[in-house]
Amino acid sequence: MIRALLRALRRPGPAVGFAMVLLWVACALFAGWLAPYDPLKSQVPLQFPLDRAPDGGHFWLGTDLLGRDILSRLIHGARTVVLWASLAAASAYAVGIAGGLAAGFYRGPVDRVLSFFANTVLSFPVLVLYILIIVTIGASGLNIVLAVTFASAPAIFRIVRALAIDIASRDFVAAAITQGENALRIMVVDILPNASAPLIVDACLRLGYIAITIGTLGFLGLGLPPPTPDWGGMVNEGRGMAMVFPHLVVFPCIAISSLMLGLSLLADGLNEAARAGSRA
Amino acid sequence: MSILRTTSGRPAHPEVAAVADQLLKGAIDRRAFLRTVSLLGISAASAAAFAGLAGPAAAQETPKQGGTLRYGASIMEINDPMMITWTQPSNVARNVIEFLTQVDEENITHPHLAASWDPSADLTTWKFKLQPNVKWSNGDAFTTEDVAFNIRRWIAPESKSSNKSAFSAIKEVEVVNDLEFTLHLSRPTLAIPEMLFAYTCPMVHRKFIEQGGVWTKNPIGTGPYELVEFAVGQKATLKRKAAYWGTKVHLDEIRFIDLGTDVTASIQALASGQVDIVPSINTTDIDVVKRLPNATLLVGHAAQTICIRMQVTQKPFDDLRVRQAVVLAADNQKILELGYRGLGMAAENHHVAPFQPEYFKLPPVKRDVAKAKALLAEAGYKDGIDLSLVLGNTQGRWEQDCAQILQQQLAEAGIRMKLDVKPSSEFWPIWDKVPFGLTFWAHRPLAVMTLDLAYRGGGAWNESRFASAEFDAALNKATGIVDPKQRAQAMEAVERILQDAAVMVQPFWADRFGAMSTKVRGFRLHPATYNLLGNVWLA
Amino acid sequence: MIRFLLARLGEVVGVMLAVSFLVYLVLEHDAASVAVKVIGQYSTEGQRALWLSENGYDAPFLVRYVTWLGRFVTGDWGSSTHFREQVTVLLPQHLARTGILAGTAFAIIVPVAFLFGIVAGVREGSWADRVVSFIAVATTSIPEFASAVFLSAIFVFWLGILPGASTMTSGFEWQQLVLPCLVIVLYDFGYVARMVRAAMADVMAQPYIRTALMKGASPARIVLRHALRNALVAPITVIMLQIPWLISGVLVTEVFFAYKGFGTLLYQACLNSDVALIEACAMTSVFVIVSTQLISDVLYTLLNPRIRFGLRRGEA
Repeated sequence: MIRALLRALRRPGPAVGFAMVLLWVACALFAGWLAPYDPLKSQVPLQFPLDRAPDGGHFWLGTDLLGRDILSRLIHGARTVVLWASLAAASAYAVGIAGGLAAGFYRGPVDRVLSFFANTVLSFPVLVLYILIIVTIGASGLNIVLAVTFASAPAIFRIVRALAIDIASRDFVAAAITQGENALRIMVVDILPNASAPLIVDACLRLGYIAITIGTLGFLGLGLPPPTPDWGGMVNEGRGMAMVFPHLVVFPCIAISSLMLGLSLLADGLNEAARAGSRA
Repeated sequence: MSILRTTSGRPAHPEVAAVADQLLKGAIDRRAFLRTVSLLGISAASAAAFAGLAGPAAAQETPKQGGTLRYGASIMEINDPMMITWTQPSNVARNVIEFLTQVDEENITHPHLAASWDPSADLTTWKFKLQPNVKWSNGDAFTTEDVAFNIRRWIAPESKSSNKSAFSAIKEVEVVNDLEFTLHLSRPTLAIPEMLFAYTCPMVHRKFIEQGGVWTKNPIGTGPYELVEFAVGQKATLKRKAAYWGTKVHLDEIRFIDLGTDVTASIQALASGQVDIVPSINTTDIDVVKRLPNATLLVGHAAQTICIRMQVTQKPFDDLRVRQAVVLAADNQKILELGYRGLGMAAENHHVAPFQPEYFKLPPVKRDVAKAKALLAEAGYKDGIDLSLVLGNTQGRWEQDCAQILQQQLAEAGIRMKLDVKPSSEFWPIWDKVPFGLTFWAHRPLAVMTLDLAYRGGGAWNESRFASAEFDAALNKATGIVDPKQRAQAMEAVERILQDAAVMVQPFWADRFGAMSTKVRGFRLHPATYNLLGNVWLA
Repeated sequence: MIRFLLARLGEVVGVMLAVSFLVYLVLEHDAASVAVKVIGQYSTEGQRALWLSENGYDAPFLVRYVTWLGRFVTGDWGSSTHFREQVTVLLPQHLARTGILAGTAFAIIVPVAFLFGIVAGVREGSWADRVVSFIAVATTSIPEFASAVFLSAIFVFWLGILPGASTMTSGFEWQQLVLPCLVIVLYDFGYVARMVRAAMADVMAQPYIRTALMKGASPARIVLRHALRNALVAPITVIMLQIPWLISGVLVTEVFFAYKGFGTLLYQACLNSDVALIEACAMTSVFVIVSTQLISDVLYTLLNPRIRFGLRRGEA
């Protein structure tokens, strides 16, 4: 995996993507040092980018309706997104892969029970599922992880299951079964690596989608409780005024899009590198 | 000096002379005068002339007849007009079914289906006379039979309308003849004519129940328009009738369009010319509307506000010092400036607005963080205190913005306030139950109406659980006084008791905003959002 | 095949029952709060108690559920507390509008995504692949709410050539469909294109394709006869999962442009705790989604002949 990453980084696309992701991770880790101001402190409302701050410094990206420094809020907002999106994705993948492998390999009753549960959850519209969960249990980081796991694990499950069924019907798996190999070993050693190429693409993309979902919830007014800086919430707060004060929405939109773009470029590179490696 | 005339032609109520005297001595302003005497049955024209005001300003342009007005509104079901729970459906029906009275944008009550009224000296017997020659759209004449049918239905024991409690003072509706009826009340109520314009009080036909009791299916009315199309969540279309008893209206057609709950979408529709009037927008939309070449911004002052109130029965708010600390740490002017962009008037934590007729000016309240800290320490919270404020953004995000500004201010006094923002539907079931909450209070023409509901011991909507015999007595005294000047003086005690009890941070009176196309003439925001379209025309 | 279909149909019914129970449990376990939602926050305790007993809420939860289910199955879906209208009147109108929006978007997404995905996947690393991949990545990275803000800023406020609200209140106007469709297509086609490309590239790297290429078969023939068919397997699952996504994923777009579709209806129902309407919407989307899954399974079987139904693993 590390070797695949290093190989991927030789190309400009994935390298740029990796740098973008790294930038936001750094912001998340060192928000306290990087942010020029307290992201919660009201200073002067609706300043434009580069305007002077009362302390003699600059509001590099302007201030919002309540007079808070937008750059500082973006940097602190990275912490919200990076932390909760990766936790949520990890949790959803753990559940989805375990279930998908078991269902795709064993088929029969195991598959039926797991698929039934997955289908039940998947038959809810995703965003509505999020909205209902958040409205019912309240908006907090942990609840977002729970909601994302509950809502995305079944989708991952279905993809893994479909791949596992396909791979399990191939001859080399049949051979392994005939040789009496341990089922867990077949799943983890024979099936999972062969399913990994589409899964890596999906994982990186899904991480981005979860970031977007967190943003969308914020946009719909169901994100983390105020005054936590949250990119989607910033877009929602500013969009009514976007025509007059475009900086209110442009920068948070760029932030969330760049994180997503970085993850996608990285996913691409990893995917190609992994396949080139397997071919070599 | 002209003479004050009643619209009925009968002698004026005895208090009228005293109120007029107050105006001449400069003790009350013209607006308070107009509002009081119009409730007592004096014609608005003669009152305005008496007060030295010009009559209704002559329109500078001659109104143009015809055209279709497109009005952004939520289209909700209107089965039984007395059961409406929101002003928006009433604005759709308002031009088809009409009211006995009409309260204008200046809070002045005018005759409408009722041509005149005369209260008795003790304000318990009200004689009404109807406008003659009013016809229902099915050809029947509009008579006191219709009025009695409506009012009796509102106050019947099995009535589920909010009118039942609002008009609980009505003992009997006495029909004198086809055009005259009398209301007998159990207690003096000055505001009866104004209350008859509440959005649940339109007159429906006397056979309303017999004919199915679903108004939109059988929309008989006395108004200038007829309902020709109605689809919940989508649209409602009104067409002008050939004949109308009252002042001629200008528009041929009014089309109400449901633009959803998101104001930004409405502004987009206004920008692209899909709608002519967006009656309610947020403070954050103002800049965009000002930029639109085809739109005009509408501004209205209203006694609407937010109350960040503490329940005096709940820990830690049962300790007066904690409540005082919260109130002292708050800077109302700053909350207005940052949370509502300064678009309103700072308030004084007693829920009486300077533009309400009974307002008495108390000495200004000053922010004092040091004193707040001292009080907290005295109450046993030396290291500060943790509080959680529940709010539902029921009117928009600005509620949350204001709460965030308060949060920063309280932090300076060591009060760590967390915000618990709920979706409005989750907030409504608990709005009066949470120990610490932010509630929006709608406009009411008289402050005593709000005080009665919200701060009287055991009041229907007493969300702070504030109960004080002294306050109730002072409020009773003020409510029984007709003379605005005397009533304002009696209000000093009311306001002071409430302010000293520190039950809430009531930071400001919020202005209202709307937007309309530059083609629209004659439209103004109504403080109670009962928007009137009678004088509206399209250039 | 018929046995398989019957089994799946049974599963569909089971899923719908499970969903109905979950929905009812979440929305109506607390009878008192239902009363507040239905008759309003300003109602008195007495009125609420009366309403609860009038509407059978005194009964135990399971009895209430079975009663509700019985009514629901017989077509009595109750009425919306927010819109004050029968759910059976509201739902079909809104569903039809979303059908138009999502259908139009889907009709653009699928051919475009397949074209781009195949062109890019056939020759991995070619410049066509790089350009397509970049476009797909860039468009997918912009969330719908962001592209909606940008697009309406450009086309509504700046150029003034497209309507900013898509309420369709004065009849159907195709101009009002342009912006919402654009937002959905921009956001979604990249994801599908990437899946097609990944699958295509995978297949092109398989030994049998390489063997065929080395034997000198024409590349076009290989793509059409062998690669495409095998490459379709993975994306079919993805595409089928896009249909449920379109039903609810249009939510943000619909809300933004005030388009009166299923997403807006659901959003308003959720925000207003409109119990009957949420229940009906949830059950409807469950039906649509379960049907797409059924179709996806059938297609999957037809495309991958190595899976035989009715046979257990090891018997094949």
